[in-house]
Amino acid sequence: MRITTNLIYDQNLRSINTSQGNLSDIQTQLATGKKLLNPSDDPVGASQVIRLNEELDKITQFNRNNDLATNALELQETALDSINDVANRARQLTIQAGNGIIGEADRVAIGAEIEQLRNQTVDLMNSQNASGEYIFAGYQSATQAFEFNPTATSNQIVFNGDDGTNTMQISDSVSIQTTSSGKTVFEDVQARLNFSFSNISGVSFDDYSIKNQGTFDQFHIENFDPVNNANNQYQFDIISSTQIEVTNLGTGAVVDTLSFESGEVLTYQGIEMRPVGNPGDSFQIDLNRPEKHNLAETLNNLYLALNDSSLTSQEFASVLDDTLVGIDNGLDKMAREASSIGARLNIAESVKNSLLDNEVSNEQARSAIEDVDYAAASTEFSKQETALEAAFASFPRIANLSLFNYI
Amino acid sequence: MIRNADLYSMATTGLNASNKLLATTSNNIANINSEGYVRERTEFTSRLNGGVDFGYTDRVLDVFAQNQLRRDTSAVGEQQAFYDRVEGIDNILASEANSISESMTRFFSAIQTATDDPTNMVSRDVVMGEASSVLNRINQLGDYLQDKEEEVELQIQDSVKNANSLINEIANLNEAIQVAQGNSTVDTPTKLLNQRDQAILDLSELVAIEVRTSSTENTGLVVSLTTGESLVMADGSFNAFTVSGDPDYTNRQLSLQTTYEPPKNNTTINVLEQELGGALGGIYKYREQVLEPAQRDLGKLATSLADTMNTQNKQGMDLDLQLGSDLFSIADFSAINYPSNSDLTLGISGRIIDGAGSLVTSNDYKVTVLTTPSGAPATFDVEVASVTTDGLPELDSNNDPITETITVTAEKGTYNATLGGIELEFDDGSNYAIGDAFLIQPTRLAASNLTMATTRSEDLAFAKPLRIEQSINNLGDASLISTTISNSVVDLSFANPLASAFNGTGGLQDVSESPSATFGAPVAVRFTDSDAFEVLDSAGQIITSVAGASDLNNLLAQAKANGNPAWPAEFSALDDYPGYDFSLEGEPIAGDEFTLEYNTNGINDNRNAIEMATLQQQDFVRSGNDDQANTTTFTEAYASLVGQVGSAAAGAKIDLAAATVMQEQSSNWFESTSGVSLDEEAANLIQFQQSYAAAARILTTAQEMFDTILAAAR
Repeated sequence: MRITTNLIYDQNLRSINTSQGNLSDIQTQLATGKKLLNPSDDPVGASQVIRLNEELDKITQFNRNNDLATNALELQETALDSINDVANRARQLTIQAGNGIIGEADRVAIGAEIEQLRNQTVDLMNSQNASGEYIFAGYQSATQAFEFNPTATSNQIVFNGDDGTNTMQISDSVSIQTTSSGKTVFEDVQARLNFSFSNISGVSFDDYSIKNQGTFDQFHIENFDPVNNANNQYQFDIISSTQIEVTNLGTGAVVDTLSFESGEVLTYQGIEMRPVGNPGDSFQIDLNRPEKHNLAETLNNLYLALNDSSLTSQEFASVLDDTLVGIDNGLDKMAREASSIGARLNIAESVKNSLLDNEVSNEQARSAIEDVDYAAASTEFSKQETALEAAFASFPRIANLSLFNYI
Repeated sequence: MIRNADLYSMATTGLNASNKLLATTSNNIANINSEGYVRERTEFTSRLNGGVDFGYTDRVLDVFAQNQLRRDTSAVGEQQAFYDRVEGIDNILASEANSISESMTRFFSAIQTATDDPTNMVSRDVVMGEASSVLNRINQLGDYLQDKEEEVELQIQDSVKNANSLINEIANLNEAIQVAQGNSTVDTPTKLLNQRDQAILDLSELVAIEVRTSSTENTGLVVSLTTGESLVMADGSFNAFTVSGDPDYTNRQLSLQTTYEPPKNNTTINVLEQELGGALGGIYKYREQVLEPAQRDLGKLATSLADTMNTQNKQGMDLDLQLGSDLFSIADFSAINYPSNSDLTLGISGRIIDGAGSLVTSNDYKVTVLTTPSGAPATFDVEVASVTTDGLPELDSNNDPITETITVTAEKGTYNATLGGIELEFDDGSNYAIGDAFLIQPTRLAASNLTMATTRSEDLAFAKPLRIEQSINNLGDASLISTTISNSVVDLSFANPLASAFNGTGGLQDVSESPSATFGAPVAVRFTDSDAFEVLDSAGQIITSVAGASDLNNLLAQAKANGNPAWPAEFSALDDYPGYDFSLEGEPIAGDEFTLEYNTNGINDNRNAIEMATLQQQDFVRSGNDDQANTTTFTEAYASLVGQVGSAAAGAKIDLAAATVMQEQSSNWFESTSGVSLDEEAANLIQFQQSYAAAARILTTAQEMFDTILAAAR
């Protein structure tokens, strides 16, 4: 091949340019620590990095959500713990108040403490978070959840919120409930199931009470009809001096025949009564519609009873029974909520750990795509440097070779 | 027998010849740095009666090497033009600060954080700030691409101007060479030939060309495009490029215009821009394969993101306890007239159908009027065809063009829904004529034109407008598992088939507001058994009853399907009424009641925010333009845009490198034949100097011989 002068210059210039370009590329890689400088360097890798970045950012956010959710749940846990303590103290006091040797003055003293406990309970049920939102008010967090209105005739502690609960996402697939409505936790607590007398004709009662609440509860649950009230009415007819016939007014069916002796104890489904009457007399027992009372309401009822000297011992005992069952049901409800919160905290913890694993593996994947391998890059750098130096060194020597130098 | 006089004449021709050789050598040395210079050689033949002839100077040229060089120059020109431009977009996508995906992630993260406390104004402000930051990124990239589009138009015009002046020059040189050749039969007009070759090489950088010697004129060269259209004819006539936009004035198309002398009629020849080769072809290829798709893909992403967020926000309730409104506003677009239309002032405008963001494609649409408008308001049929950026029909999975024929009502304010989630307004009534065609580009400028519809962070609808309240007297353990809001359009006139049961004043419709004369909107569900329930309105009237429900999912949908008496016809007549539903789990007991109420004061509700945040993981962006409506996530769509530009740039880089190597080869080949070697010329210089001295020596020898004869005769 014929080598012309321009060819020599062009070729040298070109190889110097190429080496300089390569050197500059590797230098940028070394300086930034990334081998993926432009999407065109690795189009598939570049779009993978975008996805991995999104994934990693999401994990960061999920961890933040996790912390926020954990804080919110711990706040509720604390409130429930405190109410739990209050309720247990109230339970002790209730049992104490039921002690026969307690006098009027002692009742008032217990009443004063119950009042404090009631106030404490209302305060705790109105717990607020750092930004002043009522945590048990459902969606209406700016509204005070429970309001105490001492002038109301019944239900003096009223729930003003709603059923709303919030959730938070702590991973792509897991979201946990972060708030609980006061309606579910405190308000939806069954009061003691009870009955009442009606249509009493000719019968009087020396005494009556639910002696075996368990038996009565079972009977009530099995037979209560929320739609047709007649099915809840049982008529007791004294058909002879020794027998009472029990008829369900809804169905008209005779459900039972009991042996009877006027003035003596008659037991029916856990109810003990001492009816006094003659054949032809009758009375009716109605299953009361189940009521729901929140803990504060229960304590308030107790407080009112303790300060009401007009109550008969029969009525007072009934209030104490209501209170004990109310406190127990309330405690039970809170225990269920607390264990649900505990379970959610556990989920949050385990999700966090598994996200940690994801984070590490995503970071590794991203690093493999976009991070420079320093050993390889610095070797490549030296190689290109040597090539450039060689080009620099040889170029002037070739350029100096000319026949004109010799003529 | 040699005569003395012969020696003189031989010496003279020898001296002349050496002189001429030295002149050629010197010319070669002098022109070592002249661009386009081809080394010359003077060749001699001996004369019959002794001595050397005048000699003939010609260029040392390998036509094959020259043609190869032209072809490779075109290839480099094309790849260089393509790569330089793609690299620009590649670089802008590389910079993380501009990354749309990152700002989208931050936006969704901000929503996630806000779900913790939806009443917190600071976290709402952060969400709003991130929303406008996403918008800025999209706007910036959109504007950048739009600038590039304008730049490309200018570059095309410049290149066309250059190409035309080169075509003109070649034609002129063709003529000049013919004249010069006719004047002198001895020397070739090397200067003119070099000029012409240089002009052809320059032209080959702009467009790919073929060069042939003319069959009729010996010295004339015929230049044509590689696709066959002639540019320069041997007789000096030529065809020039013209640019026109048809129908998109910002989207220039090329054609060739003949420049015949009258009376011959001039004609226009269309050329395939992408096949053009050279820098012009490279620019067109860049525009059609990278710039325009990128622009529309970005527009598609922007439209779909904005529409999806708007839809979700509208299904919620904001901090002012109102039903949510749009967060972003997507610009309307207007159609471009085809130049052949009956009246170029006619127009169509269009917009994206609310909630149809995931149907939007990156294609353009051609709307053709099929029938004559009739009636008042005028109605007629139009064909809507999905077309790619270069005007070709988009094919479906059966390779048939994607088109739809719809009957439109041409009236201001009436929108006619069609393909790709768009609806069109024909505001020129009965003025449209059969054959009128319009080009609609829904996504081309969508990214640049996207704006915030609100900047108040109270307008973020984090709550749902409805809450389900479980009666405290419920004895069963059924509890709410989900509430869905599918529609919150308020239209108490019910002209809009999308109207919902919300009354727009913070409540659900009662009898007087609802579409039915007898019932209000369903606001309560009361169980009559564990698998039977009644749906009630606000006045407590039983709208319908359902018995034998197999599950407690979507109770209102069950009532709509299986209710007895049947669901009111006025409700069923609307597309999505009431627009909400709910599902329960657990076992209800007869008498249990669930009421639905407007979420008054429900500011701490984060349900809609949670749904908003999960949109990040859901598929909302059309991934293809065909009839397979596959969708991807926002980030995925952005990643694929980056990947596409990246792979175009990567491919261009490799193609450019390959073309450059080819050009180096052919340039070396050409240079090796036609280039000047100083060493060679130095050797020639010595050689010709010596031949000159030798020829001069003949002269002195002849002189001496003559003197010798004279002396002998004396």
